[in-house]
Amino acid sequence: MNFKNTWQNISTNYSHWLSFGLLLLVASIINPSFLSWSTLSNQFVQGAIVGICAMGMSLVISAGMIDLTVGSAVAFTAGMGISVLNKTGSITLCLLFCLGAGLIIGLINGLLVTKGKIASFIVTLAAMTAWRSIINQLGQGGPFTVSYDFYEPFRAITAGSLFGVPYLMIYLIIITLITHIIMTKTKFGTYIYAVGSNAQAARLSGIPVDRVKALVFMYAGLMYGIAAFLLASRLTSIQAASAGYQYEMEAIAAVAIGGTAMEGGRGKIIGTLLGILMLRIIITVMVMANVPPFLNGLVQGVIIIIAVLAQNRKK
Amino acid sequence: MNLEMREISKSFGPVNALKSVSFTLGAGEIHGLLGENGAGKSTLMNILAGTFPPTSGEIFINDEAVHKMNPHKSASLGIRFIHQELNLCNDLRVYQNLFLGQELTKNGFVNKKEEIRRAQEVLDYMKTNIRADMLVSELETAQKQLVEIARALLFKSEIIIMDEPTTALNSHEIAKLFDIMRALKAEGVSFIYISHKMPEIFEICDKYTVLRDGGFIQTGEIKDIDEKQATELLIGKSFTHTNLKEGSTSSVTPEVLLSVSKLTGTSCKNISFDLHRGEVIVFTGLQGSGTDELATMLFGASPISSGSVMLHDNSLSHKNIKSVMKAGIAMVPKNRKERGIVPDLSIQQNCSLAYFTAKHDKPFISDPEERARFERNREKMEIRVGSAKDAITSLSGGNQQKVIIGKWLEIDADVYILDNPTQGIDVGAKFAIYELIHEIVRTGKAAIVFSSEFPEISQLADRCFVLYKGEVQGVLPYSELSEVKMMEYSTGAQ
Repeated sequence: MNFKNTWQNISTNYSHWLSFGLLLLVASIINPSFLSWSTLSNQFVQGAIVGICAMGMSLVISAGMIDLTVGSAVAFTAGMGISVLNKTGSITLCLLFCLGAGLIIGLINGLLVTKGKIASFIVTLAAMTAWRSIINQLGQGGPFTVSYDFYEPFRAITAGSLFGVPYLMIYLIIITLITHIIMTKTKFGTYIYAVGSNAQAARLSGIPVDRVKALVFMYAGLMYGIAAFLLASRLTSIQAASAGYQYEMEAIAAVAIGGTAMEGGRGKIIGTLLGILMLRIIITVMVMANVPPFLNGLVQGVIIIIAVLAQNRKK
Repeated sequence: MNLEMREISKSFGPVNALKSVSFTLGAGEIHGLLGENGAGKSTLMNILAGTFPPTSGEIFINDEAVHKMNPHKSASLGIRFIHQELNLCNDLRVYQNLFLGQELTKNGFVNKKEEIRRAQEVLDYMKTNIRADMLVSELETAQKQLVEIARALLFKSEIIIMDEPTTALNSHEIAKLFDIMRALKAEGVSFIYISHKMPEIFEICDKYTVLRDGGFIQTGEIKDIDEKQATELLIGKSFTHTNLKEGSTSSVTPEVLLSVSKLTGTSCKNISFDLHRGEVIVFTGLQGSGTDELATMLFGASPISSGSVMLHDNSLSHKNIKSVMKAGIAMVPKNRKERGIVPDLSIQQNCSLAYFTAKHDKPFISDPEERARFERNREKMEIRVGSAKDAITSLSGGNQQKVIIGKWLEIDADVYILDNPTQGIDVGAKFAIYELIHEIVRTGKAAIVFSSEFPEISQLADRCFVLYKGEVQGVLPYSELSEVKMMEYSTGAQ
């Protein structure tokens, strides 16, 4: 009886760790060299930029909303960020622009949802289309490319490593930790879960529900800004039409796989990190197993459904 | 139809919700099922309705064993379960809700005309004033409860289970409901009636069965016991029917804490009163009399059209709820499930929410502090929990409500607004909450309670304000409090 209860407790509260471990096991059976540091750290590097976006998405979904602007916001901010860099020659100004643009994109979403009283799905669907259109117009179909003078120092932001740990992996871990602390150790985190769980009761407890929602969108926007800055550095050339393509889908999938309830109120940040890593591992494993790349989407789709089904069964 | 449930047991994991309980019901009988929250009443009824199977035990209908009961089989046997929570779809019309899952069809299409006709027939029979083609979202809570009841009458029923059917109804509507029950009883329909309100049970029921802690305690004829005996049976200890106001010296002081003048909103107007330190004022009135809005207006949760509220001689801005809380007003809202608890948060987090918004100004929150906050309240109110980190939904209604009250005690307000604080909770917990309210005002605070139950009002009120059509129709000091007078004022008869 006791063993059974303990097991139940583990399987409900740590299910994302269990499935993560299981996936690692499968991966190492298919290819024993998978468990090497270079392959493992590469999963973090590959997942870092979308992973940072997924941190923002975690907050939005925990508060009972959705944000579809991710890919367009990243493309707009990264493209314009490169223009700022080329014009001013300052990486600092480029970073500040990206953070500021992300915050403003989030603020616009937040205001339309709270003051305009429009469903977040609709607001961010419209914003997604609009931002992509703006950056396409500004880029006139062509790419935004970092000029030769700043190429090396700008690229070094994401290309290097510290004691063998790639920079991108460090960024992802730091941002995950900060987001985790916000959600578990500050009252703002509790407010987010409360708003997503029962907005009515939250309001009657004195929680400024609208402000919480707007701040959640701004935090998400800030994450997109950081992601855009890193993407610009990593690629040094941003295609207006395709940069950040489907980032929102991957971010939502990571949050769902990580065990966050789509209706809001419940979720863990560490789960989202594991979710993004799992998506990456699946792709790596499929390359190793010579699965045709066109089938990646199919396998990912099936895995997402299985992960969420497993969570539903527990309820 | 004769029903016998024989030695039913049910466990949920390690919890034994029912321990070998037997229950019998004859044709044309109204049977009161009594017990505190968590005693096993709902579990027993859910087994009868086929929601889940018993761990052991059997069900006999007309002396024939029924195996593998499920909701469909239960419904086809004529067993109808009217749930305590309203299970209606707000965006559908009344008739669509009534026929939900059992639509009348003609050539494969829904026969809307016939559905409306039959639905209206039942609604008229119940003397409701509800039109069958109204949207459920346009209805008042009381009317929704009537629609829920109408559902059971629409199809031929043998046994109707009613779980707290009168929580939102006023005495006039309750009387109508009882008339309908008596008429159906004469046709041989049986009822299982679950309620915490003793006077109702003694008015309508023929027999009673008492459960306590999942076990069978006693069954018999209602005429053989009285309310006091029944209460003793269900809480399991000698419960002296004391009135907390009797014999105790009043704690009311001359100092005015809160002064409300000519407060007007959309459904209540020109409300004026002075609340003194140490005083409990009760507001009462029928559904729609404006009491709901008055509670939320005082708390800054719904807009004020005109009038003023002074707290400690300072005018209160009512800018938002947080500013009202900081000024020193707390509110325990009504409808715990919809407006009180945050279901995904733990017990201790729920207990901390108000403190966070009104008092917490450090950058981080601390788990030990949160735990200590809850522990204080757990001891004070004897809240029964496993772990403070469990989900709040794992608690019984009474314990949930104590957590919510604890949440507001933590902001140390001067004025406590309690909107129907004992809605749907058992006698023991009710009494504990009454004692707590008296303790709050004895420590120099004041309380405004909204309630429609006379026994509750007589336990609490130093003064009782009765609203009728949004205005104060009469004020009764404790010495003049009587149910008759209250009714006269609230129906506008006086």
